[in-house]
Amino acid sequence: MDLLDNYKKAWKNQPEEISKRSTLDIYKLAQSRSSSIVKWIFIIGILEFVILNSLYFFVDMDQANTEYKKLGLENFIFYAQIAAYGILFYFLAIFYLNYKRISTTDSTRTLMKKIIKTRKAVQNYVLFNLGYMALVMIVITIASINTNFDHLSNKQIILIIFATLIATLLILAVMGLFYQLLYGFLLKKLKNNYKELAKLNDED
Amino acid sequence: MYDSLVLTNLRVLKDLENKFLSDFESNQNIVHKICRIYTTHSDAHNDLFQEITIQVWKNYAQFRGDSKFSTWMYRVALNTAISLYRKSTRKVKTQDFSDVAFKMKATDYDDTEEVQLKALYEAIHLLNDIDKALIFLYLEDKPYKEISETLGISNVNARVKMNRAKEKLKNILNP
Repeated sequence: MDLLDNYKKAWKNQPEEISKRSTLDIYKLAQSRSSSIVKWIFIIGILEFVILNSLYFFVDMDQANTEYKKLGLENFIFYAQIAAYGILFYFLAIFYLNYKRISTTDSTRTLMKKIIKTRKAVQNYVLFNLGYMALVMIVITIASINTNFDHLSNKQIILIIFATLIATLLILAVMGLFYQLLYGFLLKKLKNNYKELAKLNDED
Repeated sequence: MYDSLVLTNLRVLKDLENKFLSDFESNQNIVHKICRIYTTHSDAHNDLFQEITIQVWKNYAQFRGDSKFSTWMYRVALNTAISLYRKSTRKVKTQDFSDVAFKMKATDYDDTEEVQLKALYEAIHLLNDIDKALIFLYLEDKPYKEISETLGISNVNARVKMNRAKEKLKNILNP
């Protein structure tokens, strides 16, 4: 007889749970609030959209606009902002639709896939936003060098380029690290489980 | 007209609620076993039990009754344990385990089987989440068709994975 058969017999004969929940307990539990990963992903995703977009409120837009005009960038900034908002709503829609599609009644593999996909929409939006900020920063640097070209020495130009580059990289690194921590913390276990389950299917 | 519509809806909801409560109550042992497999102390056990209750109720309207309620519940409960539940970060002490797992009715219970069961739970705790699910479904005598549908992998892969999980379990039980 197989070793596990004995254990299986013990499993079958295991006594019932002693602290069984009453109907009232179950009713109360069913009405309580979920603290599932999916819920946290939704909350944190929405927070990321809100936080990234409220960064603009800290910038004095009137002053920034005068600066942009001086540099001849008002058209670029105007269209870039329209595009950025369009893309923001696109990502929000994708994120929400993916979230809605998550269902605990799916198979384990499909469920995990959908959760990861939902999370990816926010990740892509953050990546887009970081790229967008970097692009704007680079364009502004080039424009300001262009405008003040006659007053700047070569040394100063190189200094400006270096300072911008380092500042951009620093911001990207800090945000990237923060993001990795948040993302890793929430989904590490799920991703490992998904890999574990998907492994065999990739093998064939 | 509107009032009667609301009333009908309320009645349907109440029927649904009552049906859920009786279905869930009579099958709660399954949920307890899953909690005992995926957690090692009573707080976590209760947390997971709560989350599974929420998920089963939330999706209960989708349960059409073309399969057995327990079959359907296995899937929702395992999904919650594997994918939705955030493991509590608290450090787990091994002695916590024995407190939780064996607060069971010990009447008419064979001593050797009790020892075996304890060893079995301890061994299962050492497996990863997917292997836990596989072994659990094996112990519950689920057919491969159901196992592969629950996990979302092919029948062949379910068999291969099951054999590996059983090997791992045997190695832990009988090193």
